[in-house]
Amino acid sequence: MTALEELRQPAATLTNPYIERWREKGGKVVGYYCTYVPAEIIHAAGMFPYRMRATGSTSSDLGDVYTYRTMCTYCRHSLDQAMRGEYKFLDGLVACYSCDHVRRLFDIWKAGKVEFSQPPFYLHFLSVPMKADVETEEWMASGLERFKQSLEGNFKVTITDEALHRSIELYNEKRRLLKSLYELRKQDSPPISGTEVLEILIASTSMPVEEFNQLLKKVLEELRGRDGFSDYRARLLLGGGELEDPEYIKLIEDLGGLVVTDFMCFGIRDFWDLVDEDAEPISALARRYLERVSCPRMIDHPRRQEFLTDLAKEYRVDGIIMQRMKYCDTWGGESAMMEWDIKKESTPTPYMVLEREYLIGAAGQMRTRVQAFLETIGR
Amino acid sequence: MSDNLQVHRSVYEVLNGAQEPGPRLIANWLGGVLDAVGKGKPIAYHPFTTFSEIMVALDVQPICCEAWDMVGLQVDPDHAIKSIDTAHEAGIPPELCSFDKAIIGSVMRGTMPPPSMIAQSGMPCQNAYITYQAVSALTGAPLYVCDTPYNTDEEGALDYWVKQYKGMISFLEEHSGKKMDYDRLREVLEESNRCVEYWLEAMELLKLKPAPHSGPLSQGSLAGMMGFGTPEGTAAMKALLDELKDKVSKGETAVPDEKARVIWFHFQVFWDNTLMGFMNELGAVVPYVLFDDFRVEPVDTSTPERMIRSMAWRALQTPMGKVGRGSFDAFIEDLLYAVDEWKGDCVILGAHPGCKWVTGAYGLIRDACRERGIPLLLYDVDLVDRRITSAEESRTRIEQFLTTVIDR
Repeated sequence: MTALEELRQPAATLTNPYIERWREKGGKVVGYYCTYVPAEIIHAAGMFPYRMRATGSTSSDLGDVYTYRTMCTYCRHSLDQAMRGEYKFLDGLVACYSCDHVRRLFDIWKAGKVEFSQPPFYLHFLSVPMKADVETEEWMASGLERFKQSLEGNFKVTITDEALHRSIELYNEKRRLLKSLYELRKQDSPPISGTEVLEILIASTSMPVEEFNQLLKKVLEELRGRDGFSDYRARLLLGGGELEDPEYIKLIEDLGGLVVTDFMCFGIRDFWDLVDEDAEPISALARRYLERVSCPRMIDHPRRQEFLTDLAKEYRVDGIIMQRMKYCDTWGGESAMMEWDIKKESTPTPYMVLEREYLIGAAGQMRTRVQAFLETIGR
Repeated sequence: MSDNLQVHRSVYEVLNGAQEPGPRLIANWLGGVLDAVGKGKPIAYHPFTTFSEIMVALDVQPICCEAWDMVGLQVDPDHAIKSIDTAHEAGIPPELCSFDKAIIGSVMRGTMPPPSMIAQSGMPCQNAYITYQAVSALTGAPLYVCDTPYNTDEEGALDYWVKQYKGMISFLEEHSGKKMDYDRLREVLEESNRCVEYWLEAMELLKLKPAPHSGPLSQGSLAGMMGFGTPEGTAAMKALLDELKDKVSKGETAVPDEKARVIWFHFQVFWDNTLMGFMNELGAVVPYVLFDDFRVEPVDTSTPERMIRSMAWRALQTPMGKVGRGSFDAFIEDLLYAVDEWKGDCVILGAHPGCKWVTGAYGLIRDACRERGIPLLLYDVDLVDRRITSAEESRTRIEQFLTTVIDR
C-alpha cells in the first residue's frame, strides 16, 4: 500500500486501526468539536486529540429525540452517533462556542443523554472569544490555562511547558507539510485531487500526529512521480464549514471541476497559520487560535474576504463554490456577504452557494447545479 | 430617504403630542431618530441586549434595531416581510432569524436610517453577530462587539466583560467625537434605575393569582428598547405599574375565571396582537413572557468605575442575555423558576426558526418539564414573519393544548 492509500483510509470510518492501537496501549482519546480547540494541549497531556466527525451515520432518528429539525444535520448525526454509543472510543470531549448548534449539542452531552465509554466521562467547554485583540487574547490564554489544569486534574497528568513546546513543534510541522501539499496544487496539472486532499486532512486529525507527519512526508515524495490532473474543466476553490464526506468533492470533480484549494474547516483554515514556537506556549496558542484565518464565528469578515480573494488569485481558480449545510446560520450570512464583496470586484470570480445536508442525499440535484455552474464559467 | 422612512414618520406624526406615556415614549424616540436624520447627527445601532444608556448620556441617537422594525410591524403587517424578502433576494438564507433578516433588509431598503456606528453585545445568539457584520459591510459603519464570556462563573469573567464594556464606551466616544460626562451618565442611570424599580414591581404583581394582566408588558419592552434612561421610558413604565396597581386594588383580573396560567418562555408573536386575547377567551392567562423577565439589581452609581461594572453585570442578567448567552442549564433553571414563581400550569414555547439556541436542545426542556409534570407545548411559529405558521394554525395548536391543560 502506498502512503497516499494509507492516508486516504481513515476518512472512511469513524475510528481506525491507529486509534485502536493507541487505546490498546492504554492511551486516552479526547474528542473536540471545532478547530478553535487547540489540539496541542490535549497532545501535550499525552493523549490523542480526535476531531469529531459523524462518519458512518445513516440516520439521525435517535438524535432527533433531543434536538429539533432546525439544527444542522451534522450536529444531529453526531448526536445520533453519540446516543448510539459510537464514540465509546473517547475518554473525553471538548467543545467551544463554535455556533449555536454545537453549543447545544454539547449541552445534550453534558446532560448525560449519550452513551459514554465509562463514567466519569471528561467534558470541558472552552471559552473562545469572538474577536481577536490584546484583551481577548489574554482572556483566551486564561481559558486555555483553565483547560490545561482541567485536563491535568481529571486525567492525573502534568502538562509541562516542554511538552507543550514539543506538541507545538509537531503540529507546526504538520501544518508546514500540509502547506507543501497545497503548494503542489498550484501547478497547471496538480498531482492530487481535492477528494484526496480532504481524505488526507481528515487523517490529519484521526491519527497520531507523529505517524501522520511521517506518512505525509512519504506522500509528498510519491506525488513527485505522479502524473498530474490535466483533463479538468475548471479550477475551483471550495469554501464553507464542516465537510467531512469526500464523496461531495468527488461529485464535483467527476463533473470536471478540480478543487485546487479550499476555505474550509477540514482545510486551509485549520492549518494555514503557525504557532510561535519561541513564545510562552499558552499565550502563543491563544494568539494563533484567535488570529488564524477565521471562520464566521469570529467578527472578522473583511479579513476573511481578503484572504479568500488572495487565495483565489494564488491558485488561479476559475470559480468559487461555497458549500453550506442547511440551517447553518454563520455560513449562511458569511456566504451572502462574500458574494456581495465578490460582485464588487472589477472581474468577479464566478461564485455559487451550494446548500447541502450532512448525508449526500440529493446527489442528482447537486450534480445539476454544479454542471450548470461549470457551464456558466464557460468550461 | 424621507420617502423610505414614511411608515415611521407617519407613526411619529400620529403619536406626537399624545398624552399617554406609552405613545409619548414611542414618539419621543422616533422624533429623536428623525431629528438626527434631518440634522445629520450621529446614530448608533444597538440590539435589544445592549442598552442605550451610554448613547443617551453621550447624546448619540440610539436605534434599537429590533424595535425599529417592531414599530413598522404594528402599522403595516407586511413591513418586516418586505425587508425579509429583500434580505432573501440578497442571498441571506431563510433560516437566519427573521428579526435579523428584517434588520438587514431594512438597511438595504433604506427604511431604517443608516448608522454612524454599531455597538453590539454577543447575546443571545450568533444571528446577531452575522447581522451586524452584514450591516457594517452594507453601510461602512464601524462595528464594536462586546465579547461576552460564555461562562460568567469563570474566574476573571466579569473583569473581562467590564473591559469589553469600557471598550464600547471608548468606541462610541471615538466615533461620535464626544466625551463621556460621567455625571450625565449617572443621571441617565438613575433614571433607568427608577424604570427598573417599577418594572420589578409590575412583575411581582403578575405573580398574583388570579392575574391582573395577561400577555407581554409591552410598555416594559418599549421602555427597554426605546427609552431606557429617559424620563419618557420611566413614565411609560410607571403608568403601566399604576394601571396594574389600580386593577389589583379594584380586584380586576385579566379574565373573569382564570383556568390556566401559561408561562410563555420566549418573545411574544409580534405580528399577532390578538393571540393573547384568544387565550384569555379560553380562560387562560399569560402572567409571564420571557422578554419581560427583568430581574436585575439597580446600577450602582456611586463612582464611574462602579457605574460601568454594575451596568455590565446588569446586561448579563437581562432577558435573553441571561438565558441565551451560555449553557442551557440557565435556560432550564429560569424556565422552572418562572413556572414556580408565576404559578404556571403549563409552558408554551414558540419554536422561532432563527432560535437554534432555544430549540437546539429541545429534548432537555421536555425532560425537565416532564419530570415536574408541567405540560409543554412547542409549536412552530415565526415571531416576525406571519407566513411560516398562520394565525389559524397557531390557534388550533394552542386551543388543543390549553383544552387538555384545563381539563386535567
